[in-house]
Amino acid sequence: MINFLTAIAIVIGLNALICLYRAMVGPTSQDRLLAVNIVGTKTLVMVVLITFVQGENFFLDVALVYALLLFIVTVALSRYLEAEGWEEMRSDG
Amino acid sequence: MVRNIITVIFCSIGAFWFLLGTTGLLRMPDIFSRLHPSTKCDTLGACSVMVGVAVYSGSLWDILKLILIMCFLLLSSATCGHAIGRSAVRRDIAPWRKSEEEEQ
Repeated sequence: MINFLTAIAIVIGLNALICLYRAMVGPTSQDRLLAVNIVGTKTLVMVVLITFVQGENFFLDVALVYALLLFIVTVALSRYLEAEGWEEMRSDG
Repeated sequence: MVRNIITVIFCSIGAFWFLLGTTGLLRMPDIFSRLHPSTKCDTLGACSVMVGVAVYSGSLWDILKLILIMCFLLLSSATCGHAIGRSAVRRDIAPWRKSEEEEQ
């Protein structure tokens, strides 16, 4: 069973590597942000799988904090890209 | 034994949806259409893997934490998709049309 969970984690990691292609060549900045968001979600799922492969329960807390950080980073960066810079974002409120 | 079978089924479904999300992210022509498979990959793929792992674990605190992560992921994925789409609309990124593709 542990071998199966490891195999699923490896498959998801390979998917994340393929997603980095869109983060490199994406025509707009929003494409890159979307690709980074997906890579972050896949890393979160890999951390959850590694919890049960290793048998260490505290990795679940790491996954919870990682989900919170990923959400904040994505929303802040999309606000930044929407306002075209810090100055405009500050005047926008 | 039954729990292991359920875990295998749910984790396989999740890995399959992650694969679909990656394919959509690479193959779709536009940022607005790329948002669609990526949010599917976030919600369905990640949540079914976590349901499978929660069935495998069996301990109460782990299941509660996994449910918490799942609820937060469902909320944050939709919000992130909306924020990215709104920033693309506000920056006047042109949607993809089929006629432009035929002219080239």
